[in-house]
Amino acid sequence: MARIFQPLRPHIGIPARNRKFVTGLSFFAVTVLVCIVGRRLLPFNPLRVGRFPMDNAPTPQHPLGTDSLGRDVFGQLLVGIENSLQIGLIVAIIGTLVGASIGFIAGYYGGTIDTVLRLLTDVFLVLPMLPMLILIASFMRVVETWMMAIILSIFSWAWPARQVRGQALSLKQRDFVYMAQLSGMKRLEIVFVELMPHMVQYLGASFFFAIFWAILSETGLELIGLGPQNTMTIGMLLYWAMFHAAVFRGLWWWWSAPLFSLILLLISLYLVHIGLDEVANPRLRARGK
Amino acid sequence: MSPIKRYILERVVMYLIVILLALSINFIIPRLIPGDPIGVIIGRLSYQGGRIGAEELVQEYKRMFGLDKDLPTQFILYLKELLRGNLGYSIQNFPTTVNELIARSLPWTLVLLSVTSLTSWFLGTLLGAIVGWRGEESKLGKVLAPLTLTLSTVPYYLLAIVLMFFLAYLLPIFPVSGGYSLAKVPNLSIDFLLDVMWHSVLPVLSILLSSLGWWFLSMRSMIMSVSGEDFVLMAEAQGISDREIMWKYAFRNSLLPQITGLALSLGNIFGGALLTEVIFAYPGMGWLLYNAITTLDYTLIQGIILLIVISVCSATLLIDLIYPLVDPRIKYGE
Repeated sequence: MARIFQPLRPHIGIPARNRKFVTGLSFFAVTVLVCIVGRRLLPFNPLRVGRFPMDNAPTPQHPLGTDSLGRDVFGQLLVGIENSLQIGLIVAIIGTLVGASIGFIAGYYGGTIDTVLRLLTDVFLVLPMLPMLILIASFMRVVETWMMAIILSIFSWAWPARQVRGQALSLKQRDFVYMAQLSGMKRLEIVFVELMPHMVQYLGASFFFAIFWAILSETGLELIGLGPQNTMTIGMLLYWAMFHAAVFRGLWWWWSAPLFSLILLLISLYLVHIGLDEVANPRLRARGK
Repeated sequence: MSPIKRYILERVVMYLIVILLALSINFIIPRLIPGDPIGVIIGRLSYQGGRIGAEELVQEYKRMFGLDKDLPTQFILYLKELLRGNLGYSIQNFPTTVNELIARSLPWTLVLLSVTSLTSWFLGTLLGAIVGWRGEESKLGKVLAPLTLTLSTVPYYLLAIVLMFFLAYLLPIFPVSGGYSLAKVPNLSIDFLLDVMWHSVLPVLSILLSSLGWWFLSMRSMIMSVSGEDFVLMAEAQGISDREIMWKYAFRNSLLPQITGLALSLGNIFGGALLTEVIFAYPGMGWLLYNAITTLDYTLIQGIILLIVISVCSATLLIDLIYPLVDPRIKYGE
């Protein structure tokens, strides 16, 4: 383990000094913490209908008001954000792992494997994602969050795969890799001990982009009625608010709460992504903050 | 084989593979899932009072749609029908074909999309070039950069809801939904066209505002990196005016990645616009798709998706093929 973590150290230090990364990550971390802790502290199940009066504007008891089914909007928001983040996390983990492995194998081994894998990656990059997601989701009839996560994962590996492949291609020409080969290290060992540490920031950047993308696509699908009907996500909360015409009935707390938290969440994830990207790409960093 | 032929061949092969993959997914998904479109037709029939003879009708429909044959034969039949441009019948509006329904909605989306995406690409590129050329000192850039970064992270449809609240509810200036006033009959009079334009202001604005930021940011960073290149320095040394260097040297060189960007993001633009149409109940493809989803009109969903995939891919291919003609630096492949 020490051999893997030793070379990582210099790569972890730099992002802490990037302003975008720090701003984005701190907001993201606070949101995650508030949702996970807050949801468990709630004295009621926020998804249970008819517990509170309907369509009430925000009061100290209900900081974000109640909806037309007599539910507390703030409570639903906590559950919704947590579920959406769960989807994002599953998609990002699957996408980054599968994408990085495919990219590494293609870039490092080269030859026929590379040609086939690159073609596959390109096909998935060219295929318009949202329409395909709509097609799959409309036949699958998503009811649970994990189904949504699986469907989104089908498309989340291609972009990291392409990026990692490019990196692996350029890294394998470096002297230290020749050195490792000469000293008799095995190929897989070189990949994990010598190459991986250089990719940590790339993978981190693409990991956060995958969460960003997953929440974005999930919300898109949910707004046209293809979301998980059995539970609450941030997109479903917005969908139900739109479904009950909250915008035109003056129930501003109902639609604006999920909408603005979604925007803030997306911006913070995007900031983390570009912050890490700048650190990984010194050319971007030099060009301007 | 000459490099240019190789490049074209590669692109076309890629295009064919993508289309074939999309077709296969479109074919296989409904057959993997237990829910069955003919069941929906029969259910509707029995709801309308026609219960007796439904069993025979199922058999008849299955024969009519070729569902009694094995999968490979079905796939070939399916491809044959598609080649003839036949997308089948809509389940919800049974005797009406999917083609007819799409033909009604397509013009709305085409006009909305082509106008907004070209305008936003043009404006964003221009603005990005002007601000980027000034570099770090640009005051306009200091205001615009964080603003556009925020706007470009916000998806079209979220911006659409915000605009709807401010400009249709708080200040009821623009109509809330639809493509034209319900009292009007679609025709080509000036009055009707003005009504259509009035209804399209909010959808146009939401797509425009959030995609503009994207083009602005990418052009800005592109022209900023070009301004450090040797040929710009050389031009400066030759005493060419700043304005001329910008438009004749830097702008032209940074324009090309913007064209690739347009090719790559067509799919996203299309997808985002579909959702914006849903928010505003704008009578284009997105609204048709939304209705198809809520009424379980499987064949209509398939038809729309297929059309979107094929048109987005064809547009991408077209830009890919034109690209080397405008950029002499491309070395076609390796």
